[in-house]
Amino acid sequence: MSKVVEISPTTRHEGHTKLTMQVDDNGVVTRGDWLSLTPVRGGIEKLAVGKSMHQAPKISSRVCGICPIAHTLAGTEAMEASIGCIIPDDAYLLRVILQCANRLHSHALHNILSLPDMYIPGTDTHINPFTPEEPVRSVALRIQKLREVGQTVGEIVGGEPIHPSNPPRVGGMYKNISPPRAQIKIYDLAKEALPLAQDHMDFMISVFKDWDARPMASVAGGKEVEKTEKFGFHDQGYMASDTLYGSSSLDLDQKWYPERWTEVRPWDWYQGELEVSLEDPDYPVGGTTPPVGTKVWPAMEACTGVPLYDGAPIETGPRARLAMFRNYDRKGAMGLQIARQMEYMDCLYSMIEAVEALDTNGKVVADEIPQGDGSLGWAANEAPRGTDVHLTKVLNGKVEWYSLLVPTTWNFPTVSRALEGAPWQLTEVIMRAYDPCVSCATHMMVVDDSKKVVAQKLFQ
Amino acid sequence: MVLGNYKNCVSARAADPAILSASQDGGIVTQLFAFALEEGIIDGAVVAGPGDEPYKPEPVVATTVAELMEARGTRYTICPNVSMIKEATRSYGLDKVGVVGTPCQIQAVRKAQLYPMGMRSVGDKIALAIGIFCMENFPYQGLETMVEDLCNVKMESAVKMDIGKGKFSVYTARGAVSQIPLKMTHKFEQPGCHVCLDYVANLADVSTGSVGSPDGWSTVFTRTKKGETIWGGKAIEAGYFETKPIADVKPGLDLVTKLATDKITKNQKTLDERASFGVDKGLRNPYI
Ligand SMILES: Cc1cc2nc3c(=O)[nH]c(=O)nc-3n(C[C@H](O)[C@H](O)[C@H](O)COP(=O)(O)OP(=O)(O)OC[C@H]3O[C@@H](n4cnc5c(N)ncnc54)[C@H](O)[C@@H]3O)c2cc1C
Ligand code: SF4
Repeated sequence: MSKVVEISPTTRHEGHTKLTMQVDDNGVVTRGDWLSLTPVRGGIEKLAVGKSMHQAPKISSRVCGICPIAHTLAGTEAMEASIGCIIPDDAYLLRVILQCANRLHSHALHNILSLPDMYIPGTDTHINPFTPEEPVRSVALRIQKLREVGQTVGEIVGGEPIHPSNPPRVGGMYKNISPPRAQIKIYDLAKEALPLAQDHMDFMISVFKDWDARPMASVAGGKEVEKTEKFGFHDQGYMASDTLYGSSSLDLDQKWYPERWTEVRPWDWYQGELEVSLEDPDYPVGGTTPPVGTKVWPAMEACTGVPLYDGAPIETGPRARLAMFRNYDRKGAMGLQIARQMEYMDCLYSMIEAVEALDTNGKVVADEIPQGDGSLGWAANEAPRGTDVHLTKVLNGKVEWYSLLVPTTWNFPTVSRALEGAPWQLTEVIMRAYDPCVSCATHMMVVDDSKKVVAQKLFQ
Repeated sequence: MVLGNYKNCVSARAADPAILSASQDGGIVTQLFAFALEEGIIDGAVVAGPGDEPYKPEPVVATTVAELMEARGTRYTICPNVSMIKEATRSYGLDKVGVVGTPCQIQAVRKAQLYPMGMRSVGDKIALAIGIFCMENFPYQGLETMVEDLCNVKMESAVKMDIGKGKFSVYTARGAVSQIPLKMTHKFEQPGCHVCLDYVANLADVSTGSVGSPDGWSTVFTRTKKGETIWGGKAIEAGYFETKPIADVKPGLDLVTKLATDKITKNQKTLDERASFGVDKGLRNPYI
């Protein structure tokens, strides 16, 4: 007989979510919902309307402090796409360096969140990143160093690693970096991080493979349960616009397709009213939703819309990038974790390549910045967590319409599918593999109350 | 205490005649930064560099001695040096930042170090803060009026301006000197200076000014351990400065103390009056 269990709140990811699951007699999920409980903000999209095209991306940066670069770049480039502004090469190179720096720090930060579920390979000891003991101590220090490199480079190029201030601006960047010191500093930092990242990637991959190979596992030191085969598998497709940077409607060869995007309301997607019938006070730390009999209603509670691509949920993120552009084929939660680690080296190599190609005396602002005639423009940025698409219409320098489709929003329904077949006690491991960023996902809900119809098409 | 905490005070001037050729007084600021740059104590300094209009400085990050040389001399108008300390650590990529400023600017630097609001990773990169004495400052339009209307000198012709011995003096390239009594300049002072309680840059690593020492020489206070090591331990040893004990020069510390006391007393009074500026209400006091 099917029972309902709920983990609320979930932990070790950005934001506020819960897992509401129906499970069979063995505790295996038969239908699961992972949903955002993060209160809907005023709504960046609504707020941006009427503001200048220069200000809107700075507001959207504030959606998230882990991946502000993604929102700033996607926002700025959507504005540029709408007004038809091509930025100078050196501005683009600076943006690439920023992109790499941000991904480096973000992936390293996520390691800290994931490691407590994992074991020191070959032992039954869960990894506590805060322990002063080896070998974990060195791993933690290495993670800090990689983050420091990412954030310092973000500081030099972006003015600020959290909410870049200097760049970008519509039309390019405010400033180039000054020769030769800043250029050398970025180069040195990247070189310093290179061998660390190599070791770190190898270590992290061995940790995730070790977990995958275990017959039993627990979440961060809780009760051991038997793992199931195909842990975290799903049959949804992938969506990515590039391995590193992104794509926009200015590109000749566009890699994201607005006409394939539709959005449904949580009402149409999540489970209806349920009653919690299974409770585990020992679930670490603090137990599951008590008491038995509590009413839950995912369809009403979810705070995000449900974006679909070709009418179905898709996965976006590191694995989607590698699967689409590099023939990567490892499935499941650990397949996604491993793909994320595989992106480390590209962050650093691309950073080095871009800083080498950069002319620090080069122009970084377009000569002409058109004011826009209300045409639709979009830009997809490959944020650490996946494709972050911003769409906008700019008229006379002002934002007429603005919409954000962020990675974690895309992943919500996909994760819900990927929970099926897993023991409920390990479902947080699946969710964490997606590196959720829920304040990104909940920047606002796009709902047209007047229309009860499922999909909201972009092109009327 | 009107002179702040200090370890040592001397009268000094730069050993390099090239620096002295256009420095305001003893060329202390330029020489000390040049020395720190060569020694790797700083890798750049925020100074008041040339701006678009004559005698209207703009903060620049100088990373060469040539750039330091261009910033020599006092410009009696506001130059927001602190606006560049963060940028110096950003697109300029500096790790060890030097900064020169009036007492209020040095206060800003110290506050940014202790309470870094929007000043992420700036504080630990401030490597040498040199303060210059300051009685008051002027907005650019005020300075222009003083020079062009009251002194009858075209801004473009001025090669040096100086406040001393109760007068504001402007020197031209053709050798003319034009002076007005200081009391004619009072109405052009920036009002914010009237609540300032610091004359000799009490919070700097090293502070310097003209008062107390003869023309062409500077009065120098070393205040912090850092200032002491850089100045006393290294620069002097390496022969970058000529020095005399401050007790041996005229007018010496007595005059510095007198002027500092005058400034603080006068401005403290202004500050006190703000409390009862209105009827049953006052104006804000940033010190409480
Ligand atoms: C507004 C003002 C008021 C002053 N009042 C007094 C005073 O009452 N008594 C006194 O003894 N000395 C005063 N001074 C200091 C004095 O004029 C000299 O600046 C000081 O002695 C340094 O001379 P120097 O030869 O060592 O420096 P130099 O080698 O000539 O270098 C001077 C340095 O000062 C910087 N500078 C110039 N103008 C400004 C500015 N407006 N803001 C910030 N930095 C600037 C330059 O960037 C340069 O690096 C004042 C200076 C200013 C700017
Ligand atoms: S008088 Fe005080 S406030 Fe005015 S410029 Fe000088 S130090 Fe700054």
